[in-house]
Amino acid sequence: MFVSRRFSVAKLVNYIAAMAYAAVVFIPIYYVVVSSFKGNVEIFADPLGWPQTMSLGNYLRVQERVNAIRAMGVSFGITSAALALIVVVSAAAAYGIARIATRLRNTHLALITEAYFGLGFLIPAFALLVPVFLLAATTGMLYNPLYLILYYVASNLSLSVLMLASHMRGIPRELEEVAEIDGANRFQILRYVILPLSRSGIMTVTVLNFIGIWNEYIFALMLLDSQFRTIQVAIPLLKTIRKVDYGLISAGVVVALIPVYIVFIFFQERVIQGMLSGSVKQ
Amino acid sequence: MDGPKSSVAKGRRGRFTRDLITFLVCVGPAVLIFSALMLWPLINMCRVSTFEWRRLTGPKTFVGLANYGELFTDPKILVALGNTARHLFIMLVVVMPVGFMLGFFLSQRLRGHRLLRTIFFSPAMLSVPALSMIFLGVYLPNGILNHVLRILGLESWTRVWLANSSTSLWAVIGADAWGAVGFYAVLFFAALSDLPRELFESAQLDGASYWTMMWQIGFPLILDFFGVALTLNFIWTLTGSAQYVLLLTKGGPGTSSLTLSYYLYDRAFVTDRIGYSQAIGLLLLVMGMVGMVLIRRLTQRSYLA
Repeated sequence: MFVSRRFSVAKLVNYIAAMAYAAVVFIPIYYVVVSSFKGNVEIFADPLGWPQTMSLGNYLRVQERVNAIRAMGVSFGITSAALALIVVVSAAAAYGIARIATRLRNTHLALITEAYFGLGFLIPAFALLVPVFLLAATTGMLYNPLYLILYYVASNLSLSVLMLASHMRGIPRELEEVAEIDGANRFQILRYVILPLSRSGIMTVTVLNFIGIWNEYIFALMLLDSQFRTIQVAIPLLKTIRKVDYGLISAGVVVALIPVYIVFIFFQERVIQGMLSGSVKQ
Repeated sequence: MDGPKSSVAKGRRGRFTRDLITFLVCVGPAVLIFSALMLWPLINMCRVSTFEWRRLTGPKTFVGLANYGELFTDPKILVALGNTARHLFIMLVVVMPVGFMLGFFLSQRLRGHRLLRTIFFSPAMLSVPALSMIFLGVYLPNGILNHVLRILGLESWTRVWLANSSTSLWAVIGADAWGAVGFYAVLFFAALSDLPRELFESAQLDGASYWTMMWQIGFPLILDFFGVALTLNFIWTLTGSAQYVLLLTKGGPGTSSLTLSYYLYDRAFVTDRIGYSQAIGLLLLVMGMVGMVLIRRLTQRSYLA
């Protein structure tokens, strides 16, 4: 992208707008972080001030009220199980679409399968909340974490399969042929040639799905009970009807966003590029 | 002469069957999971929408298209459509152009643009509950919005934002738009960064201004991506508002912040009309499809036109 060095009023206005927006984004996030170390009196007396005493009391109360450690454990368990399944299932499907279907000299097969998964982009997840809930109820899977895991796999397959398939298409056919001459079968080729060369695509798929699944709220709320409460479901429970204990709520918010924020800081470029190419796929 | 030829054919057919089986084994699990948990619920949705079905354990009676008829007479649908239209207007007509301008600004790569980008993208990493709880604190009577207004000497502007029927919808929309601007700004920045710089260099030699380069060169060149982002934003806004409304206002006070997707949730899980809720769900899906086609029509024109 070309950099314009010339001064212009439009550019100055744009500069001011960008700074103003940065402040608008920063202030609430700063507010929630400092509030998590303050008592309610201090929060309301001096909302934007630095905490007078760095108290961890709110964090201890989050643990007491909603068992945040357990909720984080549940979130980690469900997220990592779903991620592992997504990678295995979508890598296999992508391999079938990008590599095997072409050997069959039947390009329709690849196109149709890809279009089938592409349907997922047309269905907004929330629209399926009720039928997915009903399916759990009729199959006796309601409140079973395995069902939520399978739902997360299904709802993230479209992006994962299409992204990995386009990655695998870029791998030169010669590498496969060499392995074949060495006597490798299809699955050995997948395991030792295709997968290692798709590492970058798998990484992007994993990071994007981690953020999406860790942050998912409404399906976790409806499909699990208090025994398997995820951290996202736990946070709003800190809000009581009578009085807003904002120190408590903000400590909960900070706890829930730490894992995602760490991943974001480490993989920022990948997250942005992944979301860009992911959205273009649709 | 026949021998070798047919064995080649047989070998070919053997290989074909083997490859076909491999293909099915590879694609099978994904197709199965996807069909069971995405396609079947979609089909079941149409079926459920033809029942009068009050609660999960209660009886179901087939009523044909009666639930769809009710969509036209239910006054709450009209309220919800109006509120959703306001939400869509802000997200599509205000957020997207502002996002593009900020994205173009980021693509100038001035000093500190990396930090700015991280800040802009941060809200996109927040879950809906985390974002909603942050905004609970922003909108409290003694929260930061009122605090900042007082600092600016605008005491008379302070409100109980979420509990006031003339501001509750705008408060929910504000929470959604807050992070969306930065999210799209960073995506547009990434799309603009992929463009060849020569285009802008020669335009500047021709005396094009910053504003001209933004809207006459940058914008048309990423118009396709702009259309994709617009579509995404449209679908997310249409169906995603339910979670913000659920966590911030529950549609209130009264029906002042009732959106179409929250109304679906309300009918299914709060006010016991599962069948009717799915008619609302189909209305949402149809609106989504129509919107997608329209956006495509609007943004798919050739660069040279």
